[in-house]
Amino acid sequence: MSSPVSEKPVVYVVDDNDSLRKALTRLLNAAGYEVRAYASAGDFAISERDNRRGCVLLDVRMPGPSGLDLQEALAKEDEPLPVIFLTAYGDVPTSVHAMKVGAVDFLTKPVKRDVLLSAVRMALARDARLHTSHEQVRDLRVRFAKLTPREREVFELVVAGRLNKQIAAELGISERTVKVHRAQVMTKMRATSLAELVHLANKMGSADS
Amino acid sequence: MTEKAADSDWMLSREKRAEQFFFALPRRAVWAGLLTFVGYYLGSKIGFALTFQPHPISVFWPPNSVLLAALLLTPPRIWWFLLLGAFPAHLIAELQSHVPLTMVVCWFISNCCEALIGAGLIRYFLRDRIRFDTLSDVAIFCICGAFLAPFLSSFIDAEFVKLNRWGQDSYFEIWRVRFFSNSLTALTLVPAIVTWYDFRPAQWRGISSARALEGSALFLGLVIASTVVLYNASTNPDPVLFYAPMPFLLWAVFRFGNRATSAGVLIVTFLAIWSSAHGHGPFTNESAEINARSIQLFLIVIAVPIMLLAAGIQERAVGETKLRESESRFRIVADAAPVLIWMSGVDKLYTFFNKPWLEFTGRSMEQELGNGWAQGVHPEDLQRCLKMYTEAFDARESFVMQYRLRRNDGEYRWVSDQGVARYDEHGKFAGYIGTAVDVTELINKDAALRESEERMRLAADAVNLGIWELDLRTDEIWATNRRRPLLGWPASGKVTFEDFISGVHPDDRDRIRQLIDQAIEQGKDYECEYRLVLPDGIVRWMAMRGSAHFDENSKPARLLGISIDITDQKLAEEANRNLVHASRVALLGELTASIAHEINQPLGAILSNADAAELLLESESPPLDELRKILADIRSDDVRAGEIIRHIRLLTRKRAVQMESLDINEIAAEVVRLMEVEAHRRSVSLHTEFTAAPATIFGHRVRLQQALMNLILNGMEAMADTPETDRRLLVRTATNGERRVEISVTDSGPGIPLEKLPRLFDSFFTTKEDGMGLGLAIARSIIDAHRGRISAENNSDGGATFRFDLPIGATAAG
Repeated sequence: MSSPVSEKPVVYVVDDNDSLRKALTRLLNAAGYEVRAYASAGDFAISERDNRRGCVLLDVRMPGPSGLDLQEALAKEDEPLPVIFLTAYGDVPTSVHAMKVGAVDFLTKPVKRDVLLSAVRMALARDARLHTSHEQVRDLRVRFAKLTPREREVFELVVAGRLNKQIAAELGISERTVKVHRAQVMTKMRATSLAELVHLANKMGSADS
Repeated sequence: MTEKAADSDWMLSREKRAEQFFFALPRRAVWAGLLTFVGYYLGSKIGFALTFQPHPISVFWPPNSVLLAALLLTPPRIWWFLLLGAFPAHLIAELQSHVPLTMVVCWFISNCCEALIGAGLIRYFLRDRIRFDTLSDVAIFCICGAFLAPFLSSFIDAEFVKLNRWGQDSYFEIWRVRFFSNSLTALTLVPAIVTWYDFRPAQWRGISSARALEGSALFLGLVIASTVVLYNASTNPDPVLFYAPMPFLLWAVFRFGNRATSAGVLIVTFLAIWSSAHGHGPFTNESAEINARSIQLFLIVIAVPIMLLAAGIQERAVGETKLRESESRFRIVADAAPVLIWMSGVDKLYTFFNKPWLEFTGRSMEQELGNGWAQGVHPEDLQRCLKMYTEAFDARESFVMQYRLRRNDGEYRWVSDQGVARYDEHGKFAGYIGTAVDVTELINKDAALRESEERMRLAADAVNLGIWELDLRTDEIWATNRRRPLLGWPASGKVTFEDFISGVHPDDRDRIRQLIDQAIEQGKDYECEYRLVLPDGIVRWMAMRGSAHFDENSKPARLLGISIDITDQKLAEEANRNLVHASRVALLGELTASIAHEINQPLGAILSNADAAELLLESESPPLDELRKILADIRSDDVRAGEIIRHIRLLTRKRAVQMESLDINEIAAEVVRLMEVEAHRRSVSLHTEFTAAPATIFGHRVRLQQALMNLILNGMEAMADTPETDRRLLVRTATNGERRVEISVTDSGPGIPLEKLPRLFDSFFTTKEDGMGLGLAIARSIIDAHRGRISAENNSDGGATFRFDLPIGATAAG
């Protein structure tokens, strides 16, 4: 279900201008990136990405759906690919809108190699980082799913900082039983200490929110 | 001083008057006095001789009449002298008949009174010497001299007689006897004396023998007839006999005038009284008083009508002679006058034409008289002419009219005819008199001048041209009427150069002054433009051209010039400059995005390709094939960028491109491609529908593209408030049968408000709140220059369509 993290990231280039698309592909290839190029937003949307991570280098103005339309569509995905906008004529309102929606960068053609490559690098790093944290949360959720209902209740109260006695009183069970559940929770969540458990809980919770 | 002078003048004139009395006048006065003395004395003697006996009744008493005649023949200032002359005659004559002295003196006084009353009244009414040749003379004499004078003086006489207790007769008996005798004497004797007074023996010589014979026959006839009737007739004759002297008196009246008549009357009178006094004739069979009265009445009845008749005939004869003379004088003058003269009577009919008129028209007096003259008037002028004549005639007003009158050679000549009402000596309206002058030459000259002036004025007005002249000697500017309001000057009155300068915009004054001074000094032409500030503050742009002219001494005398109001041109120029600039700014603004987009694409590709190549070259075994491809792509992108730049330069540079043959579809496609980005930005879906038929026009590529672009931008802007999904813009090209191609831009906006349709393509008119509205105006001017037609209309299914068409293959203007 989850793709191997080690897979090489892909730079998706979406631009209607053939020669520019070709040049960008060449440059990114030469810089060692795997590149998949599309002539329009539509082409990109219907392509099979195989869940490959990476980033999108997106032209703003294109026939059909624009770069901004595509960005909005991507943002609705679970793990949105970071977007770098590339435009021939950067007007302020468009760029502000793009950045608000979450664009990594807003580059103006002709773009310098260093600027482009560092933007790509940053976008990929961000994607990788986001992807890692996504993987962890997913793992924690798997662990959390293994807890029994009573164990989940105990987990939440422990994380909330309640003492065993308080938890026993609240759940109407003996303090002893609480301790058993607590040990099960620590094991199942692979936490070695209360502090780690709280950290895991936070991580999971932030991903939820 | 002046008083003294006046005083001495008076003294002098008094002395002079005295001199006239005693030295200058007396010579005639003495003669008059002497004649009076003789006449008075003889008259007295005759009077006594004709006294009826036994009881002395004076039937005919000449002295008073002699005195009256003397007074009538002399100026009043010497009357005293005549009375003085009569007094001794009176004394001598009366004292011989043993009358007491007081009575004699009293009679003299009453006699003088009679003569003075008669002479005074007659002088007063006639204001001239009496001549008995007019009815008024005779009438006044009869009333004043023969009736009033004896009538009044006889009261005095009777009073004196009664006072002196002379005689036994009653007061009124005395009055009556004296009145009748003096009245008869005055009636018969005074006219004879007065009319014969002027007679000079020399006048006999001018008389023909036939006339002398006739005169003699008349004299004899009258004497015989009178003698037979008055002396030889029985005491009771047939009454018809009393008329026997009448034919002779009438003969005298009609053939010999008042002088002979008065003599005839006197002869009859004398014979009648003498006969009676000597016991002959019809007036002898009653008492002396009755006989006297009868004979007196008989003679008065004969004398008065005969004298009046004579005077009347004389007067008429004289009047006729005078009239004939005056008419003949008038005719001579009229015929000699260098103008055409006519006269008409009270019935409006013409009664006279002078010789020049008849010679001018070549017609006879008979042909012209009445309304005959009208036949010579030009038919076109006749109605007007008659109307004017009739109207003026009825109003008794003078008139001047111009009409064409046919000359004897058949040519119609313009005459100026001036008519005035004329009145006779009694102030009675007598008709009209008029003069006509041939004014054809004048009118032709006048018309030619007027026509030429009118032509000039029209031409000047047509081009809003003012013509003016500055007289340098009087510093006065003359200007055509149109020029004056143009300069803010009053319609009339003197205008000086300074007046003109003060109307010029302060910033232009020195320049104009300098220019004109220069023109005057060097005598050269000048030309300038300046601003004129009208009194209401409005500034007008004027163009002025002129030249200096010199008098015979080579001194500058006049500046002649023309001025044109060029405000409109100036405004148009300015507006055009603004328009061009604004359109460029607007166009650049709209195009910036497109330009940047277009040009940055190839630039971006080039840069990225170069970067890629660089990276590839860093590798250990650079892929040469790939590098070659990269370089090829770089070159083609570079070429593309160059093309784009060239294209943009064409779009923005003024008159960069000459007219050329253009494919309409190509033009439209290029514009659509340029506008795609803009359409996208505005969320407008852009559609095209191009004609398949070959459609080539001749024109400015860039300008036509600009026009189309403006229409597209206009359409896009119109859809700003349309829901995004409904924003559709269709660019169509088509050919039609008129050998024209059409490009239309259809939007799906709200359409054009109806009230704005008519002015849609006017400059500075916009339906957009913030827009300059220049786009459509520019489009129109471009299309106009290509002899195209531009229009706009609302679609039946919403939105508006802007379209222009161009002639296929035609050459555009400009």
